[in-house]
Amino acid sequence: MALGMVAMAVLPFVANDYLVGTGLTLLMWLALTQSWCVLSKMTGYVSLGHVVFYGLGAYLMVVSWQQLPFMLVVFGAGVIAAAFAALVGLPVLRVRGPYFVILTFGLAELVKFIIMAAESASGTASRILFGTPDLVVIYFCMFALALLATSLLTWVSRSRFGHGLRSLRENEEAAETLGVPVVRFKLIAFVLSAAIPGMVGAVMALRSTYFVVGGVFDPMISITVIAMAILGGGDSAKGPVLGVVFLFVLQELLWANAPLLYMIILGAILITFVLLLPNGLVGLADTRARWRAQRAAAGAKP
Amino acid sequence: MKSVTSHRRSIMSGIAALTLMASAPAIFAQADKPIRIGYSMARTGILASATTSQSNAYELWREQVNARGGMDVGGQKRKVEFVTYDDQSKPEQAVRIYEKLITDDKVDLLLAPWGTPFQIAIAPVLEKFKFPMVGNTAASVALRQVKPGYIWFPTSAIPDRIGAELTALLKASNVKSAVLLSNVLPFTKEIKNFLEPELKKAGIEVKLSTEYPPDIKDMTSILTQVKQLNPDAVLALAYPGDSVLYAKQAKELGITSPLQFIAVGPSDAFFAKAVGAASAENVITIAHWSPRPEWKGSQAFYDDYVKKFGEAPDYLNSALAWMSLEILETAVAKSGVDKAKIREVISKDTFDTINGKVRFDGVQNAITPTAFVQTQKGKLQIIWPKSIASGQYEPKKGW
Amino acid sequence: MPVLDVLTSGQLLFAALVTGSVYALVALGLNLVYGTMRMLNVAHGDLVMLGAYAAYWAFSIAGISPLVAAPVVACLGALLGYALYKGLFRHLLAVAPADAGRMESNSLLLFFGLSIILQNAAAMLFTPNNRAYQYLDEVWRVGNVAMTGNRIAALLVAGATCIGVALFLGRSTAGLAMRSVIERREAAYIVGVDVDRVQWSSFALGFGSAALAGVLMSMLEQFSPFSGFPFTIAGFIVIILGGLGNVMAGLVAALLLGVIETYGVALTSANLRSVLLYGCFVGALLLFPNGLLARRSTRS
Repeated sequence: MALGMVAMAVLPFVANDYLVGTGLTLLMWLALTQSWCVLSKMTGYVSLGHVVFYGLGAYLMVVSWQQLPFMLVVFGAGVIAAAFAALVGLPVLRVRGPYFVILTFGLAELVKFIIMAAESASGTASRILFGTPDLVVIYFCMFALALLATSLLTWVSRSRFGHGLRSLRENEEAAETLGVPVVRFKLIAFVLSAAIPGMVGAVMALRSTYFVVGGVFDPMISITVIAMAILGGGDSAKGPVLGVVFLFVLQELLWANAPLLYMIILGAILITFVLLLPNGLVGLADTRARWRAQRAAAGAKP
Repeated sequence: MKSVTSHRRSIMSGIAALTLMASAPAIFAQADKPIRIGYSMARTGILASATTSQSNAYELWREQVNARGGMDVGGQKRKVEFVTYDDQSKPEQAVRIYEKLITDDKVDLLLAPWGTPFQIAIAPVLEKFKFPMVGNTAASVALRQVKPGYIWFPTSAIPDRIGAELTALLKASNVKSAVLLSNVLPFTKEIKNFLEPELKKAGIEVKLSTEYPPDIKDMTSILTQVKQLNPDAVLALAYPGDSVLYAKQAKELGITSPLQFIAVGPSDAFFAKAVGAASAENVITIAHWSPRPEWKGSQAFYDDYVKKFGEAPDYLNSALAWMSLEILETAVAKSGVDKAKIREVISKDTFDTINGKVRFDGVQNAITPTAFVQTQKGKLQIIWPKSIASGQYEPKKGW
Repeated sequence: MPVLDVLTSGQLLFAALVTGSVYALVALGLNLVYGTMRMLNVAHGDLVMLGAYAAYWAFSIAGISPLVAAPVVACLGALLGYALYKGLFRHLLAVAPADAGRMESNSLLLFFGLSIILQNAAAMLFTPNNRAYQYLDEVWRVGNVAMTGNRIAALLVAGATCIGVALFLGRSTAGLAMRSVIERREAAYIVGVDVDRVQWSSFALGFGSAALAGVLMSMLEQFSPFSGFPFTIAGFIVIILGGLGNVMAGLVAALLLGVIETYGVALTSANLRSVLLYGCFVGALLLFPNGLLARRSTRS
């Protein structure tokens, strides 16, 4: 993984714009997926509304464009997204299981339509950003965010806080009786998971320059994040990296040549994974490692 | 007897001659290298059903050009090869694709994707790599802020002009009151922003002005109100999805206003298929083209399109796509693939297209007027402005 | 519009019923599949789409009325459900991971994969172009209510199907078995219910009703290979709002959504249509975390 980091860091200096753009997109998915895992993998509360933070960040960037220095806005986007999570977290996290899944979806759609109504009430039809920073600058912002997301997930995964989250994932009532401050932990995880997608959204608004509300609150973003996380498997930072890279490489190989066929193959792969590799790529890697260790132990016996 | 050396020399020269003859076709083959033209198009996702009107025009053109022996590239004929990718209905994907086409695939020329957001999104990419491309629709006044020089929009369907011209059409048709229904998506919302003040200025009473989100499923409550108000004109600023919904529910509720305008949808053959010929009859929509004898190639384009695809071309999108191809073809015939020269030619020349003459002033088309068409006896006729009209406005008599 | 006029408007009532009944039919199948197998069928809307295409081809090519094609298409859908159950989903249940959360996200992914395949296969086979046709589009006027023939038909068919299934669940032995599996799976095993049969029949019913909804929808709207997703969303909103696995509550929730879509808009503004719908949904769920008409416990 360290090698990957170094490779991504030097990419803009050695590659052409298309590859840098590709790397940027990869880092974006990494940041989004890692942050999603902080809540959903650790606590088992599967959020289908991750895009809401992304959209809020993007909207903030677009609305404040050329009135504030953009780095400040990126940081502000993280704060606003986290504040939003803090605001709705308590009632939202009272809802469990599939209800939570669809609730988060509904919440994202609600925010989308509120912003749409607000934009149209103010007479705004669309927004275009002119004079956005260079691709390389955007790239390094995203690189920092991906790094931040990975570190966050790694830290959460290894900390006592993370253990607490896992315990409430296994059995929330039991964890509570054992003294885990379940409500507070859930809320903290939710808020932590919100900040980074907010910043990612703000940065990506600089990249696409043409802002349409529906585009930045696209449910497909939430769904893709879930797919990448599950394909990767596990609840540490390793999983999303594998999942994102795998899906990304697959896309790059197929999408260019046969778009419809690519999507069908993708669907088939998702199904295969769920049936044969329910623990994702991480599970696969673990099984292979264990298998190899077993063989080595068996071979060591004379 | 000849010496061994001279014998060898004749053999050598013989071999040399043979080699030269063998390589001659190779030299000529260089000239036959296909010219690669790149573009992105939504083939999956929510816009996939809308882009076919444009990609069909591209395909038809390529077929015809290659049947003629290839595209005229600065005097040399070269076969056209498309390099195309699916942008999955996402403008950010389109940006990446055009970066790929330019830096990775290194195509010779570019064509535009479908849709305003996509073309505006890739404009900075074109400027960065100094790669000229002829656009087609660009339905926003914001396009005037796009730096000129690498992208041009032949369309005249720009919201502020639509607002002014539609008001003029209404005035000329003796409309005293109107109702405005608008989808909040960018194009229709922008039209509304310009249309409403124009209507007020012209003294036309706007009895109701309401907006709705793009995923609306039922317009009964809106239309019950409209029916009660009974305006002379209903201006439905709708996108293809809701334009069909509007027509169907207007029929159910029996909206009798004689002037029915639907912004996007009826220029496509699908509209009549979806709502029926009777409902589609006499609906006015935005388009500035129709097959006319004075516009060279327009009837041929129409007939060829029908022959190949089994339905009429979209009078707005397909026509614009074809115009952009004609402009590119003319420019490349003059300048080859020299991008700076192409850019000059497109910026300065006047072009002959299936929509008459086109000349660019900055990014916009300075000649083609903003126009409206109406379905009359199943065919779309231009009814406004008088300068290019092929028919006269007829009030709608029921659905 | 003045409030009293809105409340007494027959036209609005008709519109609310039509919208609500189609939502109800879509939600019905979704609820059955979830209730018996705890799986979130994200591909449900795409089954609706397939049903629409089937009716379209039957009408355009063979001139068969969609009302005649409806039962056939529904049966085909049911067969597809049965086949997929035996071929695919039984295996998923066999490899069920330890925690329910993982099961949820796994089934989400599984059905999502199915959804992608269905959408893009349809796009490849049928082209991504929009399709529509006119059938029964004459308008009938009763009093001051105007009703398009195909909307009346949709209301009647959807309504009848929902009532039929409700009766089946409430009155028949097979229905009772299904309800018992929905309520408490292990207990149903113990009392001798053939859970496997209940599961495949709920799959069949679920897919079949989705296909039927598609047939009805094809009369009313245009569609393309990618137009299934909004139906999936609507279906989920309805069943979550009503309470998972509670078929009757789903029907009520569906009508409620139809009411918001029409009356809600009439009383406020069309601009707020989606804000109202999602606002009510989110609000209701925050107040009633297990749905509006949740049973004591439906989790197994």
